[in-house]
Amino acid sequence: MSDFWSVYIIAIVVLNLVGCAFLLFANLRMTPEETRSDTTGHSFDGIQERNQPLPRWWLYLFVLTLLFSVVYLVLYPGLGRFGGLLNWSSVGQWQEEVDWVEKQTAPLFEQFAKVPIEELHAYPETRDVGGRLFANNCALCHGSDARGAKGYPNLTDDDWLYGGSADAILTSIRDGRHGQMPPMAAAVGGTDQAVRDMALYVQSLSRPSMTDQPEVAASVARAEPRFAVCAACHGQDARGNQALGAPNLTDGIWLHGARLEDIETTIREGRSGRMPPHESVLSEERLHVLAAYVYGLSQP
Amino acid sequence: MANHHAVIEKNIGLMIVLILVAVSFGGLAEIVPLFWQKATTEPISTLRPYSALEMAGRDVYIREGCHVCHTQMVRPLRAETERFGDYTVAGEDVWEHPFLWGSKRTGPDLDRVGLRPITEQWHREHLRDPRALVPESNMPAYPWLQHATVDWSTMARTLTVFQRHFGVPYSDQDIEEQMAKVNGEWADATEEDALVAYLLSLGQARREQRQ
Repeated sequence: MSDFWSVYIIAIVVLNLVGCAFLLFANLRMTPEETRSDTTGHSFDGIQERNQPLPRWWLYLFVLTLLFSVVYLVLYPGLGRFGGLLNWSSVGQWQEEVDWVEKQTAPLFEQFAKVPIEELHAYPETRDVGGRLFANNCALCHGSDARGAKGYPNLTDDDWLYGGSADAILTSIRDGRHGQMPPMAAAVGGTDQAVRDMALYVQSLSRPSMTDQPEVAASVARAEPRFAVCAACHGQDARGNQALGAPNLTDGIWLHGARLEDIETTIREGRSGRMPPHESVLSEERLHVLAAYVYGLSQP
Repeated sequence: MANHHAVIEKNIGLMIVLILVAVSFGGLAEIVPLFWQKATTEPISTLRPYSALEMAGRDVYIREGCHVCHTQMVRPLRAETERFGDYTVAGEDVWEHPFLWGSKRTGPDLDRVGLRPITEQWHREHLRDPRALVPESNMPAYPWLQHATVDWSTMARTLTVFQRHFGVPYSDQDIEEQMAKVNGEWADATEEDALVAYLLSLGQARREQRQ
């Protein structure tokens, strides 16, 4: 703030206070006789309006507010560049609070960091602290109940795309994941019928009773030899591959929808799912607690 | 002595003038100096003008009334910085015309939404159907944005107005480059593309400044 503006602000603030005080006291001085005789000149039906002084209690309140302003301006910023004796600022107060909380929580997080995730998940504090971290950082996609949404995995079941070990979960959160399934229409035969056959085959993996219908059985028979191209990622037994993030196709859990049309779309257009890395937004200690919380979601 | 106020009370013109003088004190001391303070008139060093696509997204943001439910102003309070990210500084909004601080949070603050680990895909799905991803959400769905092509007819004029009248430092060459993209890669961009590009741009300048 330049000298000019500092002086300008001080001048207006002081002028304002002095002006208020002047107005107050200029209208205050009334002798008792004046009080008795002085009228405003208004008369209604013989009733005269008298010009009375301010009630005392009101007057004292007014004086009190003036005094308050003076004390305030001495302690807090208000007079131009003078920052007040308390040296208060909104950002300073924020910083103080952040530092205070950091100081309170640092030993707690330090303690947590020493406990392996496999044990930490059972601590009640983990539910508390981890739950809040989860609500603010993960619930957006995985839901506040962690049960996920279409395209966003459920974290409460024991079906893991990239592994459910403590390390795998921590890595998923810290570094993110990028799961990609390429469009497979051409590879499974190219025609609409071939895509449908493969979708039925994949669907029947978790619902064997489907093949009781002869048309489905025929489709499945046609698709089965072509599954080799899928097996590259999903495995010969279709149980997926956690190194690639390829889902298990036999467990009846469908990330991108269980309907036949959904599965056909997946085969035809492929899928791409991205879990963003959280390294830049969460400290290592917080990641540790969060990983423990997520680990605990699927523990009995 | 005691009846001096009668002069004011019986002269409505004089009273109006004195009232105006009295109420102007606050503004003169608190608002007027801001027009000459560097903190409020100079952009932070990392601020860059919006691309044409982001500008179009901002127009969609305004048209759909996003600012009615979402603020773009993180106050320096720990609870807010913990949830949303770094607090907002005046230098970030020097080129905002109009500013979109908002005044009511029905939804969360969005001033740092571009820094959150949220994928572009999530933003698209969320705009089309918020409750598919966040069942508790009361945000309206905006499914038509994915089908509406951006109306580019006024963009050249918009950029020129921001350059000439609002002091946003687009060079003539910048505007040419932006318009080349408008007529090229962004010609068929949807309003959803534009809005998501705008959302992802929020907060970037402040992060770069902090680094």
